[in-house]
Amino acid sequence: MASFGWKRKAGEKVSKSAVQQFEAEEERTKSTEGGGDGGGGGEGVDWLHAVKRRRQVLLEDCAAKSGRLKDEGALLAEQGRHWEAIKKWDEAIHLTPDNPLLYEMKSQVLTILHEVFPAVKAAEMAVKFRPLWWEGWQTLGRAQLNLGEVDLAVRSFQVAIHLRPSERVLWQEDLEWAWRLQKQQVATKEKTRQEEETKEQILHAPELEQDYDFESDEVLAACVAVAERQTHYEELKKTTVVMDTEGNLKTVVSGEGGSEEAATPSQEQFIKARGL
Amino acid sequence: MSTQYSILFKQEHAHDDAIWTTAWGKSEADGSETIVTGSLDDMVKVWKWSDEKLELLWTLEGHQLGVVSVDISHNGAIAASSSLDAHIRLWDLESGKQIKSMDAGPVDAWTVAFSPDSKYIATGSHLGKVNTFGVESGKKEFSLDTRGKFILSIAYSPDGKYLASGAIDGIINIFDIATGKLLHTLEGHAMPIRSLTFSPDSQLLVTASDDGYIKIYDVQHANLAGTLSGHGSWVLNVAFSPDNTHFVSSSSDKSVKVWDASSRACINTFFDHQDQVWSVKYNSTGSKIISAGDDRAIHIYDCPM
Repeated sequence: MASFGWKRKAGEKVSKSAVQQFEAEEERTKSTEGGGDGGGGGEGVDWLHAVKRRRQVLLEDCAAKSGRLKDEGALLAEQGRHWEAIKKWDEAIHLTPDNPLLYEMKSQVLTILHEVFPAVKAAEMAVKFRPLWWEGWQTLGRAQLNLGEVDLAVRSFQVAIHLRPSERVLWQEDLEWAWRLQKQQVATKEKTRQEEETKEQILHAPELEQDYDFESDEVLAACVAVAERQTHYEELKKTTVVMDTEGNLKTVVSGEGGSEEAATPSQEQFIKARGL
Repeated sequence: MSTQYSILFKQEHAHDDAIWTTAWGKSEADGSETIVTGSLDDMVKVWKWSDEKLELLWTLEGHQLGVVSVDISHNGAIAASSSLDAHIRLWDLESGKQIKSMDAGPVDAWTVAFSPDSKYIATGSHLGKVNTFGVESGKKEFSLDTRGKFILSIAYSPDGKYLASGAIDGIINIFDIATGKLLHTLEGHAMPIRSLTFSPDSQLLVTASDDGYIKIYDVQHANLAGTLSGHGSWVLNVAFSPDNTHFVSSSSDKSVKVWDASSRACINTFFDHQDQVWSVKYNSTGSKIISAGDDRAIHIYDCPM
């Protein structure tokens, strides 16, 4: 009788390792069948449960293999072979898609590689799977800070601190720095808003909207007001928001003798306005 | 008066971010019931509970970072709040105005608790010290040293005799307030103690920990009277009922559980929150429970009396 088996199909297209694995498995099945099963023979094989067992074995394999890939990746990352490490972890994530450690490590390495957006995405997965893990939130905050999302970073660091307030690094490095940047950002925004507002008022000065008697003092007053606003705008333009070492915010004049220069052109404007 | 536990009221989206802390007080002046909530959105909100619904009275701005803890003075007139910005602020609940802002120093303001006479506010610090601030003076008046780790939770016994603190390493310390002496150090849990509370008769101390257990101690003898399991994750908050027979706990497993203090059995579980439940409190009579958490919702439950 012709024997039928997988062996025959194992041609060029099937990888050698798969063939070997299958053959080894076949050997093992044969030997257990022959040894353990005396009475029932071939019919005694419990196929239903065998399949189930296979699946269980497969699940265990995934966890173990993922763990091995994780360690390999960590080793590579330590040696500075970052992309290779990520490749290992991606494989591991494929096997165990809900392991927060893998995402967190991946996020850290992506941050090193300046892949800022994928780093945030990876850290977000880490905190999604383990929301009570402060390290995950710290990594997320750092990734968000690199992306320039200061507000989100401040929030992530606060969540991390709330989970583990005894961690000094979170207070002294992460939150403090992010919070300082946030304050600076707010101050800069406020200044830009002021600048815009003043500019808008110069272009559409409220003083020029009503009709004046040209002989009266009102005209002069209106002109003075317009000129003053222009000076104010130029002052704003010349200054920038900076932070000193203690984290105090200051508005300083950028460039030497800025305010004096500012005075000259606005004088001209004033005269022009009077010429109306 | 209800005969069974039920959810009475839900305030969805009470804050713009996670709610970390709540307090329920009653005004001595007019008997009105006030609820104060603190959130990661930097805000402290004051709500009035009347006709079985919540009404927003004040949104208190001032804190620059998330609000970790709030408490209401026992006459119901003042609220205290502490934030990650290292400030403790006192608020007048009638006018919604800030009375004082105290700089506790970095990392030195976590849980705040009014003393039974409401003249002091105690808060834990990272070096294991319990600092007490005067409500009138707005200054640090004295401090008790546990010589331990970061203090996460603080509770005064209602009779004014004891102060208990729970640390991040699971150690519980009980002080005698009159002498300032450390009476007991209990190795209660192996993980952070996020909350502890005395029974109204000051005989029992209940502690909640990240290890998922709740422990009950006999205060006088410092004996462990019971260990309760039931939560599937960190126990974040515990509060004793004024009836002296029940207490309530909340957890990051999203549930709120009511326990019988004598039989040590869980008699009801509320599974109404969508996320971690950071805070749970009783009202002054024990007829209602409030809970709030990461899902930004405030829930009020009815309790059988």
